[in-house]
Amino acid sequence: MSMMRPASTGAQPPRGGASAGQVPPSPDTASAGQAPLKASLDVARHELRAAITRGAGGRAALEHYADRVDALIRQLFTDAGGDAGPVAIVALGGYGRRHLCLHSDIDLLVLFGGGIGSAEERFVHSFLNPLWDLGVVIGHQVREIEDFQVLERDNPEFLLALLDARPVAGVRSVFERFGTIFHQPETHAFILRSLLALIDERHARFNGTLYQLEPDVKDAPGALRDLTATRTIALLTDPLLLRRGPADAARFDDAEDFLLRVRSTLHLECGRNQNVLSHELQERTAETLGYPGAEPRLRVERLMSDYFRHARIVSRSLEWAKRTAPVPVGTNLGLSRDGVRFIDPMQAARNPSSWLGAFQSALDEGTEVSEEALSCIQQHVDRYRADDFFADAHDRTALLRFLRPRPGLYARLSQMHDCGLLGRVFPEFQAISWRVVRDFYHKYTVDEHTLLTIRNLERLITTDSGDRLRFKGILADLQEPELLVLALLFHDVGKWRDDDHALESERMAEHVLDRLHIADEQRETVLFLIRHHLRMSLAAFRRDTEDPDIVKQFASLVGTEERLKMLCVMTLVDVQAVSPETLTPWKAELLWRLYVDTYNHLTQRYGDERIERSEAGLNELLANRPEDVTPGEISRFLEGLPQRYLHVFPREAIYRHIWLARDIKPDEVHLSLERKGAVWSLAVATLDKPFLFSNICGVLSSFGMNILRGHAFTNPNGLVLDAFEFTDEERFLELNRDAHTQLLRVMQDVVSGRAEVTARLRGREQGILQARSGQRFAPLVHTDNKASGRYTILDIVAGNALGLLYRISRVISRHGCDVDLVLIATEGEKAIDVFHITKAGAKLTEAEQIALTSDLQRTLEGTV
Amino acid sequence: MKLLKSIVRPNKVDEVKDALAKLNISGMTVTEVRGHGKQKGHTAIYRGKEYNVSLLPKMEIEVVVPDTIAEDAIKAIVQAARTGEIGDGRVFVLPVAESYRIRTGELES
Repeated sequence: MSMMRPASTGAQPPRGGASAGQVPPSPDTASAGQAPLKASLDVARHELRAAITRGAGGRAALEHYADRVDALIRQLFTDAGGDAGPVAIVALGGYGRRHLCLHSDIDLLVLFGGGIGSAEERFVHSFLNPLWDLGVVIGHQVREIEDFQVLERDNPEFLLALLDARPVAGVRSVFERFGTIFHQPETHAFILRSLLALIDERHARFNGTLYQLEPDVKDAPGALRDLTATRTIALLTDPLLLRRGPADAARFDDAEDFLLRVRSTLHLECGRNQNVLSHELQERTAETLGYPGAEPRLRVERLMSDYFRHARIVSRSLEWAKRTAPVPVGTNLGLSRDGVRFIDPMQAARNPSSWLGAFQSALDEGTEVSEEALSCIQQHVDRYRADDFFADAHDRTALLRFLRPRPGLYARLSQMHDCGLLGRVFPEFQAISWRVVRDFYHKYTVDEHTLLTIRNLERLITTDSGDRLRFKGILADLQEPELLVLALLFHDVGKWRDDDHALESERMAEHVLDRLHIADEQRETVLFLIRHHLRMSLAAFRRDTEDPDIVKQFASLVGTEERLKMLCVMTLVDVQAVSPETLTPWKAELLWRLYVDTYNHLTQRYGDERIERSEAGLNELLANRPEDVTPGEISRFLEGLPQRYLHVFPREAIYRHIWLARDIKPDEVHLSLERKGAVWSLAVATLDKPFLFSNICGVLSSFGMNILRGHAFTNPNGLVLDAFEFTDEERFLELNRDAHTQLLRVMQDVVSGRAEVTARLRGREQGILQARSGQRFAPLVHTDNKASGRYTILDIVAGNALGLLYRISRVISRHGCDVDLVLIATEGEKAIDVFHITKAGAKLTEAEQIALTSDLQRTLEGTV
Repeated sequence: MKLLKSIVRPNKVDEVKDALAKLNISGMTVTEVRGHGKQKGHTAIYRGKEYNVSLLPKMEIEVVVPDTIAEDAIKAIVQAARTGEIGDGRVFVLPVAESYRIRTGELES
């Protein structure tokens, strides 16, 4: 039976597969031009028959026969004009292994380097037809190289046969390109899983025993298929696997040769692809293979005892391979009982940028890197320099992914440190290896203290201890927690010197960040955390945090909630890593209080801190301004905006906003749209009017945008600047060429009152995809008149939903309130919005607050 | 001898220590404590949710001083720990009957 089967879809000839069962045209119709080919095939078959008759139909004879067939195929390929195009003929399965038995199918892949058109179809016909005419049974598949980009999961037998692929004719580079595309770790893993399942199925057909009285020498347990499968498992997982197995290579090869000789005899005797060693055939086979014995019974007994001996070796080897083979988990990486190891240590030794992959796989699989792999790294690590580990952007992205806090990271980093890799990748870290700093509180060397901070971080992720849950929540909210790990790794490297270490650590970390080509914004964050890593504990434990000035100073140091969150978690895990007793509930409480006070200051008081002409941050903006922006324009734009604006936006974004706001007239809307990975940033400039914020949010929602974060600012001249970050899950912006124009047009129509957003939204809100599966969070609405000098602060926490901001801000506007500033954040399913509102230029009265909150509460609960 | 048990703001510990050092009082026990007196804590709001901070973090400093300097020591503590706001803390003064040095077993007077 062929290993091929027809492709399940699109089987229009000649593409797809043809089963071996296809009836070939009679050899009599062979054209006269085929006579030499027919003759050479006959010679090849004759030779093989003779060898089989001598009892020598084993490996050598079959390989010789396969070579003869190769030559025939090459001739036919040339005759069919194959040399003209990028095409290769590839032997698969048994023929690929050169174990071509007398009546086995010849499994071929016709592989095209480019697309398949009519010329290619003509070639396939003129190549295959003569083969059929010769009476050869063929299992063929026709593919383009690009087809292999997608794994054919529905045809594992074909994938298995491809593992034996061997180029026979045509363009070598086409075959090589196929190899590069096909041999992927995921593909190998899939094939391995499929193979194991196929073995189980096949064994079940034989009741799981190799001791069959009439064994099938191809399919029975311990027979040829098991032998191939054993080798395949080794190939996919560890080429040296069988060397450690129960049978040495010579015994394994003997078994193979024996089974092939038996199979050859069966083919010869039966004149067809027949593989069952029946009672009747046992006698003839014993005779052909030259078993001694006075009578047939004795000869058969000897044959069968040989058969069982070989089958047992195969069977034991297979079981052993199944048990011990590492599972492929990445390129050149296998997972075995002792952890992740390099399948080919020599190759790994030459490729240091692949080492991180071992640690990443171990993290993913929840295991460790094996001792063997660690020794390999340790042995070779000194040959490489820091840059060798991060040769390209891909390696650097992989490192940041590796540093995302999760259980096991500490243990993997410790392994990296122990084998010398961490210190080689980061010579800066090496400076604190085993460094002892004598003081009254630290209990561990500086390197271990550093790694323990990361262990504390990963433990925080899974903690369920009451007083840590609040910090766990902060950590879970971080947008780029890997930056925190990066900062922790280097926060104390300056301790190699004895004086003020934070600045020295920052200086050293700059070199690391340079090498990693970390983006500016992320770089600033990491350096900020390192430089100020002692500031929060100082303020929380040693300063009077009841004093609003202390909180204000600390808030202006951190600037944004994100940095506050990072510094808070950093402080917690750092203090905790000093000694087991250092982080008392008392200290945790102080830290938490400073966090809350600062968070509230940042989100509720920022409206009171406005940019003034003398602002320090302005100088830098003025100095670097683009040619077409005047200093006057910058100060006119910024004056009266909250200082927070300068903290939140980088310089380039501010210039972009200035351009947007230029010459804006009533009812006009100016937009700028930018994409950063999966997240889109939209900046909207317009002049203030009632219901504006609600309308803008409504338009975004009506396009299906999911708003993640954002700010709305109003300056004293009535200029409104809204900045949103959102995901476009329906890919409207990506798929529509004129999406930007459409969005702008609808926004302008709605803002100017020419169109209504409610109707646009209604369909979506009632849509089946938006069906709310019960409110997961009881919505929270809270107003505060004390936090800010100018505004009533409205805090809202609710389950995130399409159009949520629209609905909230509409209620606010209906109450006659002005939305002056808005802070939008989401954390998973939760939306956290802080509105700064006024009514007729003043804070809301008690009664107005009550009316607004109860109205909002009803809206959020969906009761109106 | 008197035992002075002072509850002070956490950020005032160093100042109290310095003030006592000026009176040549160097032996002391410092403990992190939580509690409340007249300053009954306050209600903090985080993301719209109220949570109660009824037990406030404070530091407790214990020193034993001879009767002769007890009053100076109390004054020093009060001056160092005082901000004038609610929550500055307390100094409790307790008589000490006897005191033994553990290392030598001797009775101190």
